[in-house]
Amino acid sequence: MNSAKSTWTRFIDSKYSTPAILITILIVLDSFVWWLNIPFIEDICTVATITLIMVLGFQLFMGNSGILNWSYAGYIGIGAFASAIFSMTPEFKAKQIPVMYEFLVNLHLPFPLALIAGALFAALVAAVIAWPLMRLTDSVGAITQFALLIVINTMLNQWQEVTNGPRTFTVSMGRITDIWLALFVAVLVILAVFWFKESSVGLKLRASRDDRYAARSSGINIIAVRYYGYVTSAFIGGLAGGLFAHYIVSITAMAFYMGEVFVLLTMTIIGGSMSVSGAFFGTLLITVSQQLLRQLESIVTRSGFEASGTTDIVLGLLMIGFLALLPNGVTRGKELSLSAIKRFLRIGNNRQKQSKGLDQKPSN
Amino acid sequence: MSQASDPKLSDPILSVKDLVVAYGSVRALHGISLEVYPGELVSVCGVNGSGKSTTLKTIAGILKPQSGQIIFSNKSIAGKKPEQIHKLGVALVPEGREIFPSLTVAENLRIGAFGRYSAKQFTLDLEDIYALFPILKQRINQAGGLLSGGEQQMLAIARALISHPELLMMDEPSLGLSPTMVDTIFELIATLKERKITILLVEQNAERALQIADRAYLLSTGHVKFAGQPADMQSTVDITAVYLGEGKGGEL
Repeated sequence: MNSAKSTWTRFIDSKYSTPAILITILIVLDSFVWWLNIPFIEDICTVATITLIMVLGFQLFMGNSGILNWSYAGYIGIGAFASAIFSMTPEFKAKQIPVMYEFLVNLHLPFPLALIAGALFAALVAAVIAWPLMRLTDSVGAITQFALLIVINTMLNQWQEVTNGPRTFTVSMGRITDIWLALFVAVLVILAVFWFKESSVGLKLRASRDDRYAARSSGINIIAVRYYGYVTSAFIGGLAGGLFAHYIVSITAMAFYMGEVFVLLTMTIIGGSMSVSGAFFGTLLITVSQQLLRQLESIVTRSGFEASGTTDIVLGLLMIGFLALLPNGVTRGKELSLSAIKRFLRIGNNRQKQSKGLDQKPSN
Repeated sequence: MSQASDPKLSDPILSVKDLVVAYGSVRALHGISLEVYPGELVSVCGVNGSGKSTTLKTIAGILKPQSGQIIFSNKSIAGKKPEQIHKLGVALVPEGREIFPSLTVAENLRIGAFGRYSAKQFTLDLEDIYALFPILKQRINQAGGLLSGGEQQMLAIARALISHPELLMMDEPSLGLSPTMVDTIFELIATLKERKITILLVEQNAERALQIADRAYLLSTGHVKFAGQPADMQSTVDITAVYLGEGKGGEL
């Protein structure tokens, strides 16, 4: 493995080809969409790129620790509001949200810094409350995170001196995030999430997911590694929330609730929750199917038959189907790598047909 | 070997005194005591439910004792967390080949090396592990869960060995393996013994375990029934009676 082979062969055989492939696909896709210059498609693609960041952060904790983190949408929300409060000018804030605390009105940072500050704030909130929760596993852990989501959401939705309460919170008069910024952050996050998975903390976290007791008797402090994963995940969620807030421009707390977690969860499960590639392709597949279904929905509705909501029903059914038949998703928990593609191409047509059939399922 | 043949010359590396362990209200260990000296291979035998695994799990910190002492390298470790006990140099090869199935063989081994040794040391150790377990080298990038039962057992042992344990505890390493694989595992244990690795071995296959052990303990329903030379065990204790229930053994 370490002698005569060229750097290129070693790169193909190594796992580091995975982020390279994912990043290439993303850059090609986003650039192509930008070149097409159709606002409707560019809009979908920008939101999808931001959603990808959300899913990657979600997968970082859930995929490596095996714990379903409902509270994740809460951290997206915290990042969204916090970055908006940092980026808005005091005059604009005073006009938009007259009831806001004086010290919040006076906070102001340039946009890129505001984005990072918002993400750091989400990570800080996670860092303060998460330690005792990291002791809980399985359904108890998931229920606790669910309760935490309700707490965070209620605060975002009711604390009108901070978030304008249940009323719309206007971040700016025009879009600040564009497709290039979303792409830039997504590339960094792909690298970060992949690096985390391969780091010693990520490896320990994956070991604890496989077998808690064997992990502890191999000297792993499970609570600590979960904690690092959770806080990192909250940071990425907060970052995505900030990008989202500065793209959508007017936000409410209800955008960061159960429905949002469910979409992220569907993407993660259908892609395959155990791999970064899974998060990537899950986001891609679900975004495409969602858009196609929405189009279909509106065509049917226009023809006089009320069909709104069908998209969500189909996505729900899709998730049930995958959990029952293909619980590790389309990637089967593996990473897409150049060597995997090489192997795949060598195998005969038979296998190829089979797995094509699987890939196409979501768009049916 | 000199230490093992005359253990009283040194202090025991592990000393368990009057250990009582219960699962809820059911007592599994009624005050057992045992000692392991550096470089020794000590075997703990007994039937299912006699408390063998409970003993190992308690020493490793997975179970908490109700009372009693566990002294390892002159430190009390009773009631400490498993990760702390592992750092002190106690490695457990758990029953049922508890490897990490979704991690590759290399990653499983890296987990074993965490915390105790540097990356450079790890590379050196890896060569050593490959020499002991050639099959693992071939499978280094495969997921642990895809290995055969015997290969998984080797991986579990390799994972424990790579942490350079002061005490290696193995819980039923031959359980559920094919006869050839059982031979391989016992040959391996003999090799480790030659390398002067201190081993506490729990085995249901008493015959094989007693052949290679320096000393042996026989447990029955949470009590120590015998402690001493393996050869003496057959002569002093009615093993059939212990294994098949008290009373008139041997009349089958």
